[in-house]
Amino acid sequence: MRNDLRDAALVELRSRIVDACITQASLEDGLPLDVLINDTLYHEKKRLETDRESPVRAQDAAFWDGVKSRLGKANEAELKEILKSIVERFTEEVRGNFSPWVYGMATKVMPKALPLLLNALSPKRLVSRGMPDISETINIHGNVDTLRRMNELGTVILAPTHLSNMDSPVIGWALFAMGLPPFTYGAGLNLFTNPVMSFFMRNLGAYRVDRRKTAPLYKDILKEYATVALEMGQPNLFFPAGTRVRSGKVEDKLKLGLMSCGLRAYVNNLARKKERPNIYVVPATLNYHLVLEAETLIDDHLRIEGKSRYIIDDDESSRPRKILQFTQNLVNLSSRITVNVGDPIDPFGNAVDDEGRSIDSHGRVIDITKYVTDGDGRPTHHPQRDRVYTREAGEAVAESFKKHNVVLSTNLVAFVFFEMLRYRHPELDLYRLLRTGDEGTGVTVSSLTRHVGQVWDVLSKMARDGKITLDDKSVGSGDAQVIVQSALRHFGTYHTRPVLARRGDRVFTEDMNLLLYYSNRLRGYGLERIVRRALTEAS
Amino acid sequence: MSEAKRASVIGGGSWGTALAHLMASSGADVRLWMRNPERVTEINEQHTNSRYLKDLPIDRKVVATGDLQEAVEFAQTIIVAIPAKSFRSIAYEMGSFVKGDQVLLSATKGFEAEHLKRMSQVLREETCARKIGAISGPNLADEIMAGQPTATVVASPYDEAIDAGARLLAGPTLRVYGNHDLVGVEIFGALKNIIAIASGGCTGLGLGANSLSMLLTRGLAEISRFAERHGAQRLTSLGLAGIGDLIATCSSPLSRNNTLGRKLAEGKNLDQALSEMHKVAEGVNTTNAVHLHAGHLGVDMPIAAGVYAVLFEGESVNDVLGSLMSRANRYEHTERPIAEPQPITGSVVETALAVATRRSD
Repeated sequence: MRNDLRDAALVELRSRIVDACITQASLEDGLPLDVLINDTLYHEKKRLETDRESPVRAQDAAFWDGVKSRLGKANEAELKEILKSIVERFTEEVRGNFSPWVYGMATKVMPKALPLLLNALSPKRLVSRGMPDISETINIHGNVDTLRRMNELGTVILAPTHLSNMDSPVIGWALFAMGLPPFTYGAGLNLFTNPVMSFFMRNLGAYRVDRRKTAPLYKDILKEYATVALEMGQPNLFFPAGTRVRSGKVEDKLKLGLMSCGLRAYVNNLARKKERPNIYVVPATLNYHLVLEAETLIDDHLRIEGKSRYIIDDDESSRPRKILQFTQNLVNLSSRITVNVGDPIDPFGNAVDDEGRSIDSHGRVIDITKYVTDGDGRPTHHPQRDRVYTREAGEAVAESFKKHNVVLSTNLVAFVFFEMLRYRHPELDLYRLLRTGDEGTGVTVSSLTRHVGQVWDVLSKMARDGKITLDDKSVGSGDAQVIVQSALRHFGTYHTRPVLARRGDRVFTEDMNLLLYYSNRLRGYGLERIVRRALTEAS
Repeated sequence: MSEAKRASVIGGGSWGTALAHLMASSGADVRLWMRNPERVTEINEQHTNSRYLKDLPIDRKVVATGDLQEAVEFAQTIIVAIPAKSFRSIAYEMGSFVKGDQVLLSATKGFEAEHLKRMSQVLREETCARKIGAISGPNLADEIMAGQPTATVVASPYDEAIDAGARLLAGPTLRVYGNHDLVGVEIFGALKNIIAIASGGCTGLGLGANSLSMLLTRGLAEISRFAERHGAQRLTSLGLAGIGDLIATCSSPLSRNNTLGRKLAEGKNLDQALSEMHKVAEGVNTTNAVHLHAGHLGVDMPIAAGVYAVLFEGESVNDVLGSLMSRANRYEHTERPIAEPQPITGSVVETALAVATRRSD
């Protein structure tokens, strides 16, 4: 967002939040201001007890001590002043900065400097080791023209899948390559810890999101910031998963908080009779043959299964060597990161035609203003209703993710291998199976290839029906031998222990957790049955 | 809103007509859509629907029409009571006229056979409406027409849809309960028909209260398993749309599915039994659809499988009952056979002791 716009957005944001707090406090069952402030104070104090790494810890502590001492004897007017100062503090911290100069430079050097972006690796060392250029390796597929068109017809929320810390720079570069303006987005504070990354993030319009701050008021501010930005016509980037997906699966549980901003902004736009009130959500998938932080992510997933609250500060993406090795691999293997752009939907989850009009499943145009207007045609906010709308829109996004998930050779071969092991040990639960592995016997190349071929047949039919997408390069040929070779080539490099390796006429795994991780990308399509049936027939 | 209460009902079978009558008698202007022009005339002139409701008088505020567009555009809230088989095609036609602010409530208890779609899903797919819900509960049409008191559930994720349904339906003889668990309410409404066929079979064999009670309880257990698998909430099974509807359907001789079961127990085959009834027994299609899907999902549904065997594989009710009774005895809630050893759990020492005991046995 341009800085003048951003400043206007901040002013609007502050007045909205303060007004909302005061209005609700005046309601009979509202939260009185002193309770609201106390609650925020409590959350912040609690955070400060544990958040020892925060660079502004001392200032924060001083600020909140000040709030505490003022609070005791505050009258109504004083309470409002305290509230204002809290809101100001939170919003000031959220604000991003957009520098056209940095943007111009970043887009020019980014392909070459991705490792630099991700880390404070010295440029000198990078040059001496040879600088990998990844512009060749980002592949943009799917409905790009429609995305551009929607950006003209209304305001776009780009909603990509989230696997890796590489996602933000990759998407950032892809937007530039597609000829789109920079999008506003909220980035976790942990992405700002490294100075180079932080410099770029801050100057490319990212606003900061501190996931350690749990005060409801803070979360309201984040959501409202995105809403205001959308209303100002600023395209936004949200990762609907909220955090990197630990398991490697295509996410189906989405955090709807930010999704609801789209709907809220739409209603506000209608109320203000804006010329282009429409908000379009464009899902996209990011697909990697190998994922930078795979080892940490799957470990984390297995440890705290399902509860992805954890924030990992030290993973592969903060180890310079790992990143360099990773990007060099990308280039050496001429493997590609595929960005697959899905079809736009409206904030209610309906499909949208080329003119930006919402349509039903038979292509009939829908008047979506009806969803949010009352009997007299006035746009209304209705939290219960809007939550359900948002949930339904989230379901549409999850469905789009599944359709636009790109099957890569690594995913396909890992999946088949994993299911072969599962079939071999029906009596073991997942964790025992992970410990048992392939017992050093592996599977034969010929049987692996055969089953890969069988699953490919099913996948290619699904792809024709639009239920999933096949990667042209690594699996498009349908030649199972080529697919297995491609997967082995990738798996033999980068990770500490090879996920799959061939010795003689057999293939072995040396890292069951990673095998699970890469296979998970193909869960939720009912493919397990195919492998099981084929194995039953074979035996 | 100053406008008088209005409602539309799509489908002029017994339940659709009864709902139209019910809403009209509590003050609403109602448009009732049906295809058959003769019956439209009958309702508008004689105020009866003799094919489905004999000579029971229908409130004069019910105006029948054969014009779907008129019916859809007449009211903000539309109740759809079309047999599951033709539900989609009519929903599609409605889709040309429905607006995004309208409330659509399905009153049909059944599934679309092929993909096991619920009726609310069909409405969602075929129209642009979002405020979609369902009406279910112990609501036998004839008793409602006779003005006997009962209660119904209006289920929807949208408060607005529940509110709209309650305003129209609630009256001196009908209490309305809301429920956000649309999935559960619809699934119980459909699946109870399978158990109703079985209970008809029980009655037909001359069995008494113990047998019927066992059937209802275990029937509820198996349809709850199926429903929960699809995301329904457990508590819904204990509500009006769960156990409530099940008791009504299984104990009333007025229920079609129940009647069908009785005829089957008398030794008639499905075609004979159906030809003696001119109303649709949704339970037949539901049994077919559910039996297939339960197999896929790996949900154990022995009673449904038994009803399927009677309906489509020509087995006798008696034989099916015999094989159900000879199943392994189980724990009531975990479904684990009593005769099988319990999986070993507990502290390290307990585990070791249990293993040692098992070895020495």
